[in-house]
Amino acid sequence: MTLKIWKYFNREDLYECYQCARCTGSCPALQVAPAIGPRETILKCLNLGHEEVAKDPRLWLCCTCNVCEDRCPQMIPISELLVALRNSAARHGNIPSRLSMAIELLAKTGRSMIAHQLDEMRAHHGLQPLPSAAVDEVQAILRKAGLDDVVEF
Amino acid sequence: MKEKTEQSDANVYQSDLRIGVYVCHCGKNIGGTVRCREVADFAGSLPGVFLAKDSMYTCSEPGQEQIKADIKEHKINRVVVASCTPRLHEPTFRAACEAAGLNPYLLEMANIREHCSWVHLHDKDAATEKAKDLVGMAVERAARLAPQMELTVPVARKAMVIGGGVAGIQAALDMADAGYKVYLVERSGSIGGRMAQIDKTFPTMDCSICILAPKMSEVGRHPNIDLLTLSEVKEVQGHIGNFNVKVLKKARYVKKECTACGDCIQACPQLAPDEFNAGLSIRRAIHIPFAQAVPSTFLIDMSQCLNNQGIVACDRCFQACAHKCIDFADNDRLLEIDVGTIVVATGVDVYDPTALTELGYGRFPNVITTLEFERLINAGGPSSGELVRPSDRRRPQRVAFLQCIGSRSKRSNPYCSNVCCMNTIKDALLIKEHWPDTEIFVFYIDIRAFGKGFEDLFQRARREGVTFIRGIPGEIIEDLKTDDLTLLGENTLMGSPYRYTMDMVVLSVGIKPRADAPALQRLLNLATDTDGFYMEAHPKLRPVDTTTGGVFLAGAAEGPKDIKDSVTQASAAASRANILMSKGEVKIPAITSRIDPQKCTGCGLCADVCPYHAIEGSKGHGSYRVIEAACQGCGACVPECRFAAIDQTHFTEDQIVSQIDLALSKDPHNKIIAFACNWCSYAGADFAGVSRMQYPPNVRIIRTMCSARVSPQWIERCFLKGAGGVLVSGCHPADCHYNNANQHTARRVERFWKRMEKAGVNSDRLRLAWVSAAEGAQFARVIVEMEQGLRKLTPQEIEEAARKLVPAAGKKSDAS
Repeated sequence: MTLKIWKYFNREDLYECYQCARCTGSCPALQVAPAIGPRETILKCLNLGHEEVAKDPRLWLCCTCNVCEDRCPQMIPISELLVALRNSAARHGNIPSRLSMAIELLAKTGRSMIAHQLDEMRAHHGLQPLPSAAVDEVQAILRKAGLDDVVEF
Repeated sequence: MKEKTEQSDANVYQSDLRIGVYVCHCGKNIGGTVRCREVADFAGSLPGVFLAKDSMYTCSEPGQEQIKADIKEHKINRVVVASCTPRLHEPTFRAACEAAGLNPYLLEMANIREHCSWVHLHDKDAATEKAKDLVGMAVERAARLAPQMELTVPVARKAMVIGGGVAGIQAALDMADAGYKVYLVERSGSIGGRMAQIDKTFPTMDCSICILAPKMSEVGRHPNIDLLTLSEVKEVQGHIGNFNVKVLKKARYVKKECTACGDCIQACPQLAPDEFNAGLSIRRAIHIPFAQAVPSTFLIDMSQCLNNQGIVACDRCFQACAHKCIDFADNDRLLEIDVGTIVVATGVDVYDPTALTELGYGRFPNVITTLEFERLINAGGPSSGELVRPSDRRRPQRVAFLQCIGSRSKRSNPYCSNVCCMNTIKDALLIKEHWPDTEIFVFYIDIRAFGKGFEDLFQRARREGVTFIRGIPGEIIEDLKTDDLTLLGENTLMGSPYRYTMDMVVLSVGIKPRADAPALQRLLNLATDTDGFYMEAHPKLRPVDTTTGGVFLAGAAEGPKDIKDSVTQASAAASRANILMSKGEVKIPAITSRIDPQKCTGCGLCADVCPYHAIEGSKGHGSYRVIEAACQGCGACVPECRFAAIDQTHFTEDQIVSQIDLALSKDPHNKIIAFACNWCSYAGADFAGVSRMQYPPNVRIIRTMCSARVSPQWIERCFLKGAGGVLVSGCHPADCHYNNANQHTARRVERFWKRMEKAGVNSDRLRLAWVSAAEGAQFARVIVEMEQGLRKLTPQEIEEAARKLVPAAGKKSDAS
């Protein structure tokens, strides 16, 4: 299943990139991790197509600080591109397992943390057990967000 | 309405009208598609036509002789030539008419080549019918043409140059050497401009001030040049040949007898940053701008002097001056100067990179701009030419240059500043020349070394070991202890991130229009481009003229350029001005607006829309008057008048309406009337013809000088007569040949759309399109689209719309 990312992002915005690399030079993720810089992301989107870029697991190292977009002289909405790419990547199965597990947990339990151990701790401190989570409601929200395409629940 | 038309027709034909029509085959160009004989026969049957002929090449010598002979023999008093575009051969046929004793304005052309045969190559019947229409329209208009006399105005043999940089200096010298009186107006205390601040020039590495100073002193002693420093233009009145300029000459407080001995400097207690050294050193309140300044006279900066309240609190300089040149009583003076031509050479400002906080300019002392670098490395600069970094005055071992700072960016200036690449390469070589062990890194996006000798210099820099790294740093970090700078970025060619530590960083800043450029723009009625630079009359063929007659551009005020280009343009501007002044008079085309004082109510709406301030009068005090010499003939004022008091000569209401009426006399529902401005859209339609772009044959093009001449009443008339569609087309908004007069076109069309919507009429039938002279394809596309829209219309719809648009009785249809 391929998500057409150009529905969510205007491809023509990329054409104005002249590869000055101010974005990558400003990227904090790249200072600490082997992330893929915004400049390279844009160039690959233009030259290889976004499907290729969406296969790259380094996409997920971006910390969405948006400094690249702040400093882009051509005012390219880079953060929008990165979000659209990650949406596409997730639907391809390119998603870090920790992230997909978290979504699965949320979908199945209605909570973002494993809660059954908590109940013991709560009892120890004399607290009531947690009320049951609204799993159906959470699942409806996740479906609406399209996450049922990414993780089975 | 019908009665009136018949009556005016009767008037027209009462006079002894003898129209001669000449249909040109243009070899096979027209004759291959249009049946020219048939068109000529048709023309012969039209009222007022005395003779109609077809010929193979009307523009040829025999063709022209035929016209001349007919004018003489048959007393032909109006000539219609149906051939190519009037933009090509109107001058030819006008000359032929004039040679035979007929006023040249009694010629009319029907464009049956670019607008007919070439764009309907495969439909001979439709092309022939269209040609008949076009000839009919031309005959109608010809019947209403009147002889016109071109106005001759004298040109004062005096010029003003605004701005005393290298461009202004060159222009002033060229005009003064040609024998004309020149007033050179300079805002600062000395001429010289940016070039005086620069250390060396590229690509020859000449010492900048060494080659400029002789020219400066030549200006200072030239008998024909009146040098006005500390002066600003405050007001400009008049028109081509006769400008009256008010110049404010500010007080210098030092008499011109000053010998520039400098005794006063030591005495002065007041300090200020030295502008000439880009603020890197200090000067006194009494100072001379720089050593080679012309005039070589000190001046007092009153904003810093202790005597700025009009009270003499300190007279140390006065006491120190042996020649008694200090004059605290000096006053600002307003000079009134009459000149015939003006050259604008106001130059540029430098981009201030403080806004780019990631680079730290203004926070980190060792981040400087290229202009500051020029002063640092100059022998006359604050460090006497020693390369030192500001934080510790130590010589930097590693220097970085960052390109495109403030240029090519939507966040600052979107354009390329033209000079920064070569300036950086020159600066890098200068460092290498004096201190070869310095490591130099140039961070760039593209190196643009396009000029003569530029690539050579670029290559030399690479051979000297200057490192060029593709990729601008995203961020600069300062080491708090050492003041060294760390550059973070990506080498795009290697595809890997970098981290360089530098002793000093030079930001290669771009140049931008002067902050007060709009003020002079208003005074002189200039146009500016989207970047804020003054716009030339034509980007290719009139590169130093402006849209205001008699005003020329020189130097970077027109767009970023280097010294050589500035000088070239300055000489060109001077030469253009010299042509006007040497003739001593100028002919103004007889296409101007006229106000009928009987009808004028003095409301002043026309004066408000005039892009040239060519209409004078005051609200409510009698009638307004058109200054013919200042009127450029756009006609924007005519539709603005609610009382039909203004008309434009040679493009009168009567003439255009007769063209509309004839075009719509047959089968109006299937026709599109296209109003096209002479400079862009008509030329665009011509270009569609030259490129043989085929489009539907049901469009009839009516030429006006500017789209702003198109009256809403014409559009109304088209629809009332049952036209299927109306196109109003002009130059793109910033390209208008009449100083953005086409903003009124847009306003009037938008207003008509609203009226159509209010009346329940499909507003798609009126289209506004900006078509440049190069956009033939765009013109063809618009016509194709309009024709598609037309096919969906039923005759009932069109007639109903016409009924809905009939103006209410007694109510004047809205003119503006």
